[in-house]
Amino acid sequence: MPPELKTDTEQPEMWQSVESWMGSPQFDKMMKDEFPEDAGEWLDPVSRRQFLTLAGASVALAGAIGCNPSVRPASPRKVVPYVRQPEQIIPGIPLFFATAMAQAGGVGLGLLVKSNEGRPTKVEGNPNHPSSLGGANSFALASTLGLYDPDRSKNASQAADSTTNEAVANALLDTFKKLKDKKGAGVRVLAEPCTSPSLNGLAARFLASLPSAKWISYEPLAADNAVKASVAAFNKPLTPVYHLDKAKAVLAIDSDFLAALCPASVRNAKDFMAKRKFRDLESGLKAGDGVKPEDMNRLYSVESMFTCTGATADHRLPLTPTQIESFTRALATKFGIAAGTAGALPEFAQKCIDPIFEDLNSKKGSAAVIVGETQPPAVHQLALAINEKLDAFKANVVTFIEPLNPRAGDSIGELKALVEDMKAGKVEALIVLGTNPVYDAPVDLDFARALESVKYKLHYGLYKDETAANCTWHVPAAHYLESWGDLKGHDGTIALQQPLIAPLHGGISPLSFVSTLVKAAQDVAGVPEGQKTVETSDPLELVKAEARAYFTKAADSGDFENWWQHAVRDGVIPGSASKPVAAPAVNVAAIPTPAKADGIEVQFRADPTLYDGRFANNGWLQELPKPITKLTWDNAAIVSPATAIKLGCESGFGWTGGENGRTIADVVELTLEGRKLKIAVWILPGHADDVVTLYVGHGRTERAGKTADSKGFNTYKLRSTTALWNASGMTAAKTGETYFLACTQGQHAMESRRPLRHGTVVQFAKDEEFAQIPPVSAEEYKEIRANTPGTEEDWVRLHGKDGKKFPHSHTHAHGPTETAAKKDEPKHEEHKHDPRVIPLSLYPDNPQKVHGEDASKTYRRWGMAFDLSACTGCSACIMACVSENNIPVVGKEQVTKGRAMHWIRVDRYFSIPTSRTMEDTLGGKDVKDKVRAEKVKESANIRAHVMPVPCQQCEKAPCEVVCPVAATVHSADGLNDMVYNRCVGTRYCSNNCPYKVRRFNFLQFADYSTASMKLLNNPEVTVRQRGVMEKCTYCVQRIRNAEIEAEREWKLRPKDASDRPKIKDGEIVTACQAACPTGAIAFGDLNDPDSQVLRWKAEPTNYGLLAELNTMPRTSYLAAIRNPNPKMPQGA
Amino acid sequence: MAIATEEIGTYTPHPEGLIEGNHNLVTLGDKISTVVTGETPTPKVWWVFFLTGIGLLNCLVVALLYLFYAGVGIWGINQPVAWGFAIVNFVWWIGIGHAGTLISAILLLMHQKWRTSINRFAEAMTIFAVMCAGLFPLIHMGRPWLFYWLMPVPVNFGMWPQFRSPLTWDVFAVTTYLTVSVVFWYVGLIPDLAALRDVAKNRIQRVVYGILAMGWRGSAIHWRRYEKLYLILAAIGTPLVFSVHTVVSFDFAVAIVPLWHSTIFPPFFVAGAVYSGFAMVVWLAVPLRKFYGMGDMITTKHLNLCAKVMITTGLLVSYGYFLEVWMAFYSHSIYEVETTMQRMFGPYGWSYWVLITTNTIIPQLLWFRKVRTNDWLLLAVAGSVHIGMWFERYVIVITLSRDQLPSSWGRYAPTEWDYLTMLGSVGLFITLFTLFLRFLPMISITEMREFLPFKQGGRDGHGIMENAK
Repeated sequence: MPPELKTDTEQPEMWQSVESWMGSPQFDKMMKDEFPEDAGEWLDPVSRRQFLTLAGASVALAGAIGCNPSVRPASPRKVVPYVRQPEQIIPGIPLFFATAMAQAGGVGLGLLVKSNEGRPTKVEGNPNHPSSLGGANSFALASTLGLYDPDRSKNASQAADSTTNEAVANALLDTFKKLKDKKGAGVRVLAEPCTSPSLNGLAARFLASLPSAKWISYEPLAADNAVKASVAAFNKPLTPVYHLDKAKAVLAIDSDFLAALCPASVRNAKDFMAKRKFRDLESGLKAGDGVKPEDMNRLYSVESMFTCTGATADHRLPLTPTQIESFTRALATKFGIAAGTAGALPEFAQKCIDPIFEDLNSKKGSAAVIVGETQPPAVHQLALAINEKLDAFKANVVTFIEPLNPRAGDSIGELKALVEDMKAGKVEALIVLGTNPVYDAPVDLDFARALESVKYKLHYGLYKDETAANCTWHVPAAHYLESWGDLKGHDGTIALQQPLIAPLHGGISPLSFVSTLVKAAQDVAGVPEGQKTVETSDPLELVKAEARAYFTKAADSGDFENWWQHAVRDGVIPGSASKPVAAPAVNVAAIPTPAKADGIEVQFRADPTLYDGRFANNGWLQELPKPITKLTWDNAAIVSPATAIKLGCESGFGWTGGENGRTIADVVELTLEGRKLKIAVWILPGHADDVVTLYVGHGRTERAGKTADSKGFNTYKLRSTTALWNASGMTAAKTGETYFLACTQGQHAMESRRPLRHGTVVQFAKDEEFAQIPPVSAEEYKEIRANTPGTEEDWVRLHGKDGKKFPHSHTHAHGPTETAAKKDEPKHEEHKHDPRVIPLSLYPDNPQKVHGEDASKTYRRWGMAFDLSACTGCSACIMACVSENNIPVVGKEQVTKGRAMHWIRVDRYFSIPTSRTMEDTLGGKDVKDKVRAEKVKESANIRAHVMPVPCQQCEKAPCEVVCPVAATVHSADGLNDMVYNRCVGTRYCSNNCPYKVRRFNFLQFADYSTASMKLLNNPEVTVRQRGVMEKCTYCVQRIRNAEIEAEREWKLRPKDASDRPKIKDGEIVTACQAACPTGAIAFGDLNDPDSQVLRWKAEPTNYGLLAELNTMPRTSYLAAIRNPNPKMPQGA
Repeated sequence: MAIATEEIGTYTPHPEGLIEGNHNLVTLGDKISTVVTGETPTPKVWWVFFLTGIGLLNCLVVALLYLFYAGVGIWGINQPVAWGFAIVNFVWWIGIGHAGTLISAILLLMHQKWRTSINRFAEAMTIFAVMCAGLFPLIHMGRPWLFYWLMPVPVNFGMWPQFRSPLTWDVFAVTTYLTVSVVFWYVGLIPDLAALRDVAKNRIQRVVYGILAMGWRGSAIHWRRYEKLYLILAAIGTPLVFSVHTVVSFDFAVAIVPLWHSTIFPPFFVAGAVYSGFAMVVWLAVPLRKFYGMGDMITTKHLNLCAKVMITTGLLVSYGYFLEVWMAFYSHSIYEVETTMQRMFGPYGWSYWVLITTNTIIPQLLWFRKVRTNDWLLLAVAGSVHIGMWFERYVIVITLSRDQLPSSWGRYAPTEWDYLTMLGSVGLFITLFTLFLRFLPMISITEMREFLPFKQGGRDGHGIMENAK
């Protein structure tokens, strides 16, 4: 809402209701003066009254009915109840609206947001948006919690006192007036990087009015290095766009391009995995469903920290930041690039250079090198040169577009200049838009002190954060789900943001706020009335005006409104993608010489769950285990085992702890350039030696909110302009103190149990069934395989009768199936179903008989499959599940007790590949703890494997028989249902679940008390009480909704041949499946012969987790297949 | 009624050494009943025990109030160890509650005369132990106010318990056991209550014991019915001795947790229960001898026999430990083998070795007659068995910490509330037992009188069994 919100200050002479009196400005003021803390809570019910108006408006837009100004969202007009129910609004039926969220660098990710009676409750990817294609990342998925965060700023303030928005606006105008003569010379705007065309347009107009003012784009983790390299190489800043679906080999240099930190990660992951989903089926192969083994791509990763990308890679080299630079130079030299002298490299890395070079070189035109933003410009420049040599530009594996944010380039340099100006007293007015430099600016700039010399300082943001505390004025920002806006995606496509709800706390949308700035600037500059370029501060009008540039008369019969409605509905402006720019020849002349390293190196990295700290008050993200380390609620100094030994540090599970929770870690004092920081040490196998990884974003103060308060360590205290990403010469000293960390998985090795089966393309060629053999009952593996769905019948149907022989030819219970393949293979008789495998049992045969018929033949059987080849461990599935199923946050203390509530978890195991099989050599009875520690310490070749584990929906579910009150029961379609109302909390089911996927409400974890958090919940899922067990049910609410819909449609239609309502494959998408950027999850009906999940389950690599226990899991896994380069040195 | 010893004269010692001292019908009855009527001053130690019991009981009250307020999360339970102290204590108490019925029912049917002087307080012990035990499954539930859903109560939502669950069987087993034990105990008490009514020293005693005696007049028909009922109840009680702990063991054996899923559990659990039950009998008998001077009725012979039962059941239990390990390796199942290794050498390995030491090694001292007949040594060994049997259940429950999937391995550490609840249950037991000692005859007057040799006015054995012949 614009600042002129409360301009009509006249009080109603009579008030007819308490509400109208309470809504008056006088009342507001009294409330805010008297109970500033409670001001927001009083406002809450008033905002909620606007939900329905808003919902009506959104539908009006989405349905292309026409934009009725009287029901426009965020409109300050009267709120009235429905007289006639708007079309499409049916209470209880949610609606979806397209919008977009800004990620790192302001790059948009297109989203679809579910709205229940005007409450946004769930975020999903927007299939129309090129950066998303339906996938999402954990930041976007967790953003609904950010919306309802009770700690958000609820009112404008002056110093510590609350004030009104108009007071802020007046003060702003006064300040500008004082600077009138200087043409705004003392005015600085410090803004978040922004790709919004309308916002950037406003910024340009602001600068036009006040030509001496400066607009600085700042973000602590800005990707400046890539831009600098581009300027050096091409003489102009160009942004690369990767098309990984065209790449057969990718070299990632310190780049986590598959994970949530990279703005294009969702798309990257999808593209990359399109060439990695390994499929053996011939006739069943469908477009997008996988590749043949020989077409599988290959990924090399060179990095210090173990990232999702490193865990996915076929080969991973752990090197220190300086070694990575040396490695890049050495590799570039191979390509004939004058890359300067490479520094020293470990012998192992040297051996890898040749094979990597040969492999990449042999795949010219289908290979690419990707460099992470953390690497110095030289490495970026070399990568551009290598990509040029690899014909990546010619073959469009890498294309270039103009920068999405026109101000990107040298944010830290600009910030430095700003701070110098501030110290010199040149800055009279500083307006901070969204960023939080007091917390996250390089520490040597001492931003907070510099800020003291600024007279007028205004902070605009979602929270009254550290910077707001140091500013005189504060204006609450509207959340992205509360505002209109537009954002460019990674390829420049413009996504439209539309509000899903009126601002909960009277926050002002960025466009409104900036337009107020521009208006004030134009007022001051004396722009005559007629020539003012900003007539409105209505963000919708601003966005619309900007979008008009893309409207052509030819589209939609020349009707702009019609075209606009479509664009809003789809969430993207058609044809707005940036035009690719032909890459000029890469200039390698100016590559600077490498830096020398001494002492321990340190690298600062964005936190995988909090990014730069902006999500620190989001409990979902705090509690989301960070990929690979599985740490929650904290960051730490991450080191390799060898470095930990050097530092004399260790971590362990204390007497009172849990390896699935509490970990006691030693605390070290790090000294870098004279600055000191005490921080707990986390030992991570596979991390590069002699380098410490520090995640930024933790260690916020109480200003950041209750959730963020003192969680973790503020590593920004070490980060300076000279040590932005990587630095050397750090010293570390053990302090003798300890600190406890919350880690959800302390166990590293698979203990030779093979829960996660993995192999190579070569291994598969030798033995298709390598993934079938479980660690126990090895002779019975065919029967065990038969206990997981995906039967011989399916195989024959998908392969054709004359196709390949079925590798696992037995079904259970129904006896051997009489099929053509069976007759052709009489020798299979010897493996005839062994009744010992499923002896007399307390468990009924599921699915049960329905009307005397075997239900499995007649009705639906839900099943799920995970493709482990395609899973990066990014944990978006967890976040989606949390949001969909109202899963509570339990807090660090409870996580340390092993009580995290996530229904789906991502298991992580480490292994050391042997030359023979790439099998795990860390586990098993032959590997004693000490031997293992030695191996882990010395091995540079540690691999991480990830595996999402939700409820396996066992057909013979061990949890069901032991429940004394039948609170967990089997449905006819094979779901292992949980009846919360019936649960008395004996927890026996959890004990008896071999997968340990059941979660218990040990205390009252669900938040029943915070008003705004009630709005967050999905009304289709029970909010669980304490003392109740809960677990994944394949999003049963979605299944039942689809069934109801199908039944309804079927009733309305003339009956066709099939006597049951049909649900098409893909019509039901579980929350985790919808969010998965790589499409590693398939869900569907196993009775549907064309379902994707059935095709997956018929794969020879399909196996059931712990299927040897005869639980007959409905969820199964496709073994992870990697495609290692045989020429790489042994063990790599 | 007190009769001077010289009037009675001296008798030859009891041939089996089961009654010492110069007792006839009168002295015997007096000795037991004067404790209850208050003629024998209450030993000071009684107050020590009673006040300790009350103090600990208050801990239980506090622990339970906070538990009901906050939820079971105040305990150390977690994922994957979803059962903790509550279940350990439940099984431990249920085990202790085993000796009473075994002594009163099985030994009765087996014509074991030595049961006579210990059966009464052993039965009381059983009832109190089962009460302590029964508390734990109730309070360990996430929503204890819905406990009745575990029972087949015809309620309007038309749901029955899930009869495949061992927890449902537990409800039946434990409630049946408690009911039969209480009835058995009370029926046995009736003649004694009548005797107390008759020797009551004040009106209150007369009224209370009079009501409790249910009009017992000691007529022949009364005796006849009494003895028949007692025998029938013994017959009903006998299978319960086996069924309760068998069913409790199903809680574990039916589950698929490695090392839980085992057919050895029922006999192994029953043996363990008798083992700990007799250890508790020893723990109660020795103070009774010491502080109430009951050494003439609970003789060294009794202790010796209890100790022999302990060494026998102790060996059975130890055989169970051996067999668990044997079967794990014989099975070649990686889960069984590895979990056994974890049990012995994993993070909780110490508890396994505590178990083996206290339950298998130390009780071997009972091979020595000197240990069996020395009050204090026997008390020490019985204490070791208490610790051992507690740890046996702890070791079983803690197996949950490392099961099939390494990713979900975890650990368990009890909190102060766990300890408080456990101590509180001990307090409940002590309180109930000290009250029992004060207000009810700790040894059966009737049966002891019957047990006296003919010369001393008795019938030289147990009337019930003799009549049944």
